[in-house]
Amino acid sequence: MFKSIFFFTTLTSLTLSTPLFGQTLPTAGDIYNFSEESKVYTKMIDIPLNTMEGNFHLSDLYAQKPIIMALVFTRCTGICSPFLLQLHDHLRSLDNKRKFSVLVVSFDPKDSLSEMQSLAARFQLQNNKQWIFATTPQIDSLKTAIDFYPTWDSTTAQFDHEALLVGINENGYIGKKLLGMRDERALLSLIKEINNEFVFSYPLPAKNTIFSCFTYDPATGKKKPSLGLLILLLPAIITLSLLLWLGSRKPKLN
Amino acid sequence: MKEHMFILTLFLVLAVIIAGVFTFVYRSSVGNKEDNGIKNPTGKRFIFFLLFTGAMVILLFITIPKSPYYAFANDAPAKVIHVSAMQYMFMMSSQAIDPNNPSMEPDITVPVDKVVEFRVTSSDVTHGFGIYNDKAELITQTQAMPGYVNRLRFKFTKPGNYNILCLEYCGAGHAVMRSSFTVN
Amino acid sequence: MPTLSFKRITSAWIITILVLFVLAISFGITMRFNQGRDIDISPVTFYSLMTVHGLTMIGIWAVAGMAAVNYLLARYVKVSTSLNVFAFVLTVVGVVILWVVGFIGKFHAGWTFLYPLPFRVAWEEWATLWFLIGLTVLGVGWLVWSVGMIMQILKKYTLGQSFAWQHFTKKHDVAVETPPFILITMVSIIGILISLITAVILLVLFYAEYFSNGTFTNDPLLMKNLTYFFGHTIANEALYLGLATLYELLPEVSGRPKFKTTWYVAVGWNCTMVFVLTAFFHHLYMDFVQPYGFQLVGQFASYFASIPSAAVTIVSVIVLIYGNKIKWSLTNILFFLGLVGWIIGGVGALIDATISNNIILHNTLWVPAHFHTYNVMGNVLFSLAFFVWAANQFAGTDSKNISKAQLVKLSILVIGGFGFVLMFYIAGAYSVPRRYALYPEEFTSAAILASAGAWFALAYLIAILLLLGNIVSKCLKVFSSSQPSPLSH
Ligand code: HEM
Ligand SMILES: [Cu+2]
Repeated sequence: MFKSIFFFTTLTSLTLSTPLFGQTLPTAGDIYNFSEESKVYTKMIDIPLNTMEGNFHLSDLYAQKPIIMALVFTRCTGICSPFLLQLHDHLRSLDNKRKFSVLVVSFDPKDSLSEMQSLAARFQLQNNKQWIFATTPQIDSLKTAIDFYPTWDSTTAQFDHEALLVGINENGYIGKKLLGMRDERALLSLIKEINNEFVFSYPLPAKNTIFSCFTYDPATGKKKPSLGLLILLLPAIITLSLLLWLGSRKPKLN
Repeated sequence: MKEHMFILTLFLVLAVIIAGVFTFVYRSSVGNKEDNGIKNPTGKRFIFFLLFTGAMVILLFITIPKSPYYAFANDAPAKVIHVSAMQYMFMMSSQAIDPNNPSMEPDITVPVDKVVEFRVTSSDVTHGFGIYNDKAELITQTQAMPGYVNRLRFKFTKPGNYNILCLEYCGAGHAVMRSSFTVN
Repeated sequence: MPTLSFKRITSAWIITILVLFVLAISFGITMRFNQGRDIDISPVTFYSLMTVHGLTMIGIWAVAGMAAVNYLLARYVKVSTSLNVFAFVLTVVGVVILWVVGFIGKFHAGWTFLYPLPFRVAWEEWATLWFLIGLTVLGVGWLVWSVGMIMQILKKYTLGQSFAWQHFTKKHDVAVETPPFILITMVSIIGILISLITAVILLVLFYAEYFSNGTFTNDPLLMKNLTYFFGHTIANEALYLGLATLYELLPEVSGRPKFKTTWYVAVGWNCTMVFVLTAFFHHLYMDFVQPYGFQLVGQFASYFASIPSAAVTIVSVIVLIYGNKIKWSLTNILFFLGLVGWIIGGVGALIDATISNNIILHNTLWVPAHFHTYNVMGNVLFSLAFFVWAANQFAGTDSKNISKAQLVKLSILVIGGFGFVLMFYIAGAYSVPRRYALYPEEFTSAAILASAGAWFALAYLIAILLLLGNIVSKCLKVFSSSQPSPLSH
């Protein structure tokens, strides 16, 4: 009884007394990319894979080691190459005590295995046991399983798509996805996740927040403390410099 | 509840001791004809310091390992619930929630005696995600901050109805922002 | 010695603060009666009251400390009346803006205005901007005031001396002695300055988003860190300002020799200055996104910040008083009681600053419980002690031995104050959330506790009103043309 009166008065007074005017501010849905969360913790479908080493299923692969799956197409003039390059770089600079293999799958039905092979050769990865380049006859079910829908743009003759990594653990579950070009820290948390190490919190990819505490500098490949951390230190720095400046003047003798 | 009562009792005992000590000090100073104070304070001071610091260090060593962040880190959760908080409700689902196209499950049930994971975020302002048992005792919590996902793992040992209350002030409807789920 | 105009401005501070205090307490009691279901106000009114109450209380007790140390600073260095007046005017303007924003604009984002809540406009459209403007006015006034006081100190003492670095050795023959008052004032004002600069940065980020038309958004984690860096630091430093006046006046009014700056006093307060700056991380324990290292730093800093300031002060006061011949007057009793309240509140704070407890205490009524303890029964009493002392100075009266009537008033104050916070502690331990306009039904005793808390608070308010008359009437004397002759003592 009390509860319902309480509810009712609160809700009515809220609607009556809170004129929600003008200013349309962006909602979290506009600011952050939530689709990174979709399908996480679901079991991957067991697609067949064609590789230079032969044909097998995804389950054969993850049964041995967790997988970092990257989605590309060979004729890509956009993000695919820098994306793979960055992935390669990051994996080299992260210490690789944790186990995983990297599976690069094409989502373009026109891609042939030999085209994938030459893509591997472009990065000198054709003989690297950790990297597997593959095509699959079941592209559509793969796309549904990971909620990834590139669109064909006929004017540019390119797929319009975002960079996507999917982390799959040894039981075949999607542990984490990474959308877009992300820093080493994000990649590390993906690797931890598929190795069943608990990462108790992580950011969602933001569209335009510039002040976060760490950012990745693609030029040097180093993580550097960014504006965010600097901003947190700024008050102390300003005060210290002010003090040193004021204190550098001789006080009157007492 | 043991923890809750322990905290309150501990505090009250300490408060009474402090009040007692200062009352004692006060009374020792009333009606004196001359000074009979502490004669050689330096050594006693040093001992007090040592005791104080020692107590702090011991307390740190005892309590830090009990920090909740890595709770159940090595278990695979039996069930995962996605939570997206918004003014003034909690959307919960076993699927990821897209705030532009929200979907939620009306009845959430999680298994008893198994590790459950809540992946908590917010789609507007910062909220709190506090889990209360059927005796209205807060048993665990995390914050729901836009742009970040906090993963709270917990093992419910008693079946029953659990409530979720908002534990970060989020506007005029803060006190009515709630949800619930069942453990069985 | 302070000039007449300096006495007048200090007097104006005291009267303004006391008036605002009485009003803000009434808002607090209103809130508590609403939670107790004795009265019925709408949630929007409740949260507007809460916002104005929090801002006003934090504001007035910070400036009370500032005004007190500024007045006492005149004993050691040359102080500026116009600087003080400037701060006063901006404070009044800022407070007026914030009250208008709260009561007419219905702004109710809480005194911590946690990002992005102020942008989720649920009040008059102009209120968010004017809220930011109000804070800016206060920020500018206090920033200039703090820098001004630091400059006054540094005109007489070198940087090292102002932090008592020459006392770090155990040698007794230092060329220039830094009184504890100067040391603690310096340490506290530096802290205030840092927190104000943080506030300015926070405000700039708010303005930037406000005027960017959606092209720029802030990072909520960074904003929360800044918010608590500012909020936690200013609330704590306000207390340290209160302690500075305690160090200066307690021995004097008790008829004891002055405190000396020894090596451990010097080292202790320097450590406090550093530790207290990172203790604010304890406000983000339940934000799992906060880097793990910061969480640990938060608990370490919260524990260790208490060692130097609290331990040094406790020992110094006990040594000063225990077994000695003390002249107890209203002033030193208030200081003494304030110290007890401060320590008890500190214990409550430390319990909450422990991560493993925080998980069941965070944002329950335990939080207002402990911070009200060290404010209502701590810092407020330090400032009241100063007010009583200053009022006597202004009126040219001596501080008399404590009277029966005064003891009765103080007893009401103590029972009311501790009763009020005890209801918060019990409810907090029983998991009742803070900042709830009304409590859900499952918290069966929450409303009763709230109601009891409100009645205790009413007793506290009555005691304050009884004490206030005397202070205000003496303060008003400095404005009359017939001035008491300069005092001989
Ligand atoms: C006896 C006097 C006082 C009474 C009756 C009172 C009452 C209250 C009440 C009922 C609340 C809301 C608690 C909740 O449900 O979360 C509150 C919040 C608060 N009070 Fe007081 N209070 C008093 C004195 C003070 C003093 C001296 C300070 C000094 C700093 C203070 C600072 C605050 C602050 C900062 C908040 C938080 C506001 C917010 O959540 O935004 N109060 N007070
Ligand atoms: Cu909320």
